[in-house]
Amino acid sequence: MEKLLTLWHGSGIYNLTLGQAVMILVGMLLLYLAIGKKFEPLLLVPIGFGGILANIPEAGLALSALDQAIEVAKPAVLQQLADVLGVSFDAGANAEAWREALKAVIQEGATADMLRTARDVAVGVGYGDGMLYSFYTVAIASGIAPLIIFMGVGAMTDFGPLLANPRTLFLGAAAQFGIFATLLGAVGMTSMGWMDFSLNQAAAIGIIGGADGPTSIYVSSILAPELLGAIAVASYSYMALVPLIQPPIMKALTGQKEREIVMTQLRPVSKREKIVFPLALLILVVLFLPDAAPLLGMFCFGNLMRECGVVERLSDTAQNALINIVTIILGLSVGSKLMADRFLAFETLGILALGMVAFAIGTACGILMAKLMNAVSRMPINPLIGSAGVSAVPMAARVSNKVGLEANPHNFLLMHAMGPNVAGVIGSAVAAGVMIKYLG
Amino acid sequence: MQDMQLLEEGLSLMVLGMGFVFVFLTLLVIVTTLMSRFIGRFFPEPAAPAPVRGAATSRPAQDNDSLAAITAAVHRYRRRHRR
Repeated sequence: MEKLLTLWHGSGIYNLTLGQAVMILVGMLLLYLAIGKKFEPLLLVPIGFGGILANIPEAGLALSALDQAIEVAKPAVLQQLADVLGVSFDAGANAEAWREALKAVIQEGATADMLRTARDVAVGVGYGDGMLYSFYTVAIASGIAPLIIFMGVGAMTDFGPLLANPRTLFLGAAAQFGIFATLLGAVGMTSMGWMDFSLNQAAAIGIIGGADGPTSIYVSSILAPELLGAIAVASYSYMALVPLIQPPIMKALTGQKEREIVMTQLRPVSKREKIVFPLALLILVVLFLPDAAPLLGMFCFGNLMRECGVVERLSDTAQNALINIVTIILGLSVGSKLMADRFLAFETLGILALGMVAFAIGTACGILMAKLMNAVSRMPINPLIGSAGVSAVPMAARVSNKVGLEANPHNFLLMHAMGPNVAGVIGSAVAAGVMIKYLG
Repeated sequence: MQDMQLLEEGLSLMVLGMGFVFVFLTLLVIVTTLMSRFIGRFFPEPAAPAPVRGAATSRPAQDNDSLAAITAAVHRYRRRHRR
C-alpha cells in the first residue's frame, strides 16, 4: 500500500496544477496553429512542443538544478538550502510552505554568492539542470541562437532590389515607427495603471513591431528575459498573420488609382555592388551604432558569404543546415519559457494586444511614407510597397504584390517590395541597437 | 509622479530612436548611392557585353536541342499516362 501511494504521489495526474494543464493546452493550440493552419510551422512546432515539455509536472525540464531541488527535494535537503540562503522555517508549517519561502527568497533577497552556494548544494545532492533549461542557457541567454539565425537570414537575402532603388530604405525606416509607438503604448498602459511594465519591458514588447523573430528574441533576452516566452510567441504568431492583418490597413489608406501605379523596371545591379554593400553597411554600424554590431554584423557576414561567390559551401550551410539546427534549439528554448507561473499572467494579454497594434501602426506608417515619397519624387512609387517595410521577409512583400495584383492584374510589385522588405530588417536591427544602447 | 517620469522617458526614447533610425538609414541611402555610382564609373562589370553576344549566337542551336528534348519528354509522358 505504501509503495502504491508513492507511485501515485509521483504521477503526473497527482501533481498536475491547473496552470500547467492550461499551458499544455496552450502548447497544443500552438501545435494546431502550426500544423493545421500552417502558421510559421518551422518555429511554432518546436515552440509549442517545448511548451508542453516545460509544463510536465515533476519533470522540471525547464528548471535549473536549484529550482528543481526546491520543487521536489525532501525536507532534509530543503533545510540544507534554507541554511545556505539564510531562511528560517517555522517548524509547524509543512514542506509546501517551505518551498514557497525558498522560492520567494531566490526571486528577491538572495545575493549572487548565496545562489551559487545553494546551487552547489542542489547539484551535490544529485539534482541537475533540466534539458530545456540547458538549451535556453546555451542558445538564448548567451545570445547565440538568434544571431546565427540572423546570419542565415543574411545569407538568404538578396539586396539587389534595394541597391537598384536605395530610397526604399526610407520605407523600412518609417515602418519602424510601430516599434516606438508600441513602446509608448506599453508605458502609457503602465502610467494608466492597467499593466505593470518597466521601460525595459516596454522596449522589448515594442520590438515585436519590427516583425523580426530573431531580433525580438535577441532584444528581449537582453532587456526582459522574463517576458521572452510571450514576446516570441506574439512575434511569430503575428508574422504568420501578416496576410490577414495588413491588407485591410493597406486598402483603407490607399485609393484605387494609387494601387494601380506601375513602377519603373529596376536597373540591373552588378555583382561588385552586391559584394561591397554588406561591407559598407558594416562600416556604418562600426562608425555610428556599435550596439547593433552583433545583429547587423552577423547579418552582413551572412550576406557577404552569399554574394562573394568563393565560399559557396559556407553560404549553403548558413542558409540551410545550420539555420535548421539552430531553429530547433531556439524553438525548444523559447518553449521552455512558456511555464505556467510566468506565461499565465495578465501581462501576456497586454503583450498580445500591443503586438497587434505594433504591426498595424508599422504597416500604416510604411504606407503613409510611400505616399509621401510618391508625391515628392519624379519616379512613381506604388504606396502598397510601403507596408513591406515591416520586415517579415518575404511574407510582407508577397502581401504587397497580392494586393497590387488585385488592383491591376498586370502589375507585379514583388521585386519592388523586396527593397523595403530587407530595408525593414536593417531598420529593426538599428532600432534594436538604439534600445539596447539606451536601456541595456 | 513616478508614472509621469516613465512616460517622459518613453517619449524621449521614441523621439531619439525614431530619429536615429532615420538618420542611420538616410546615411545608408547616401553611402549606397555613392557606392553604386563609384563602382559603376570606375569598376564596371567587365564581361557585361560578352555573354549577350555569346547567348545570341548560341541561341538557335540551344533552342533546337531543348525543343527536341521537351518534345521527347512530352511524348514519353503522354504515352505512359495513356496506358
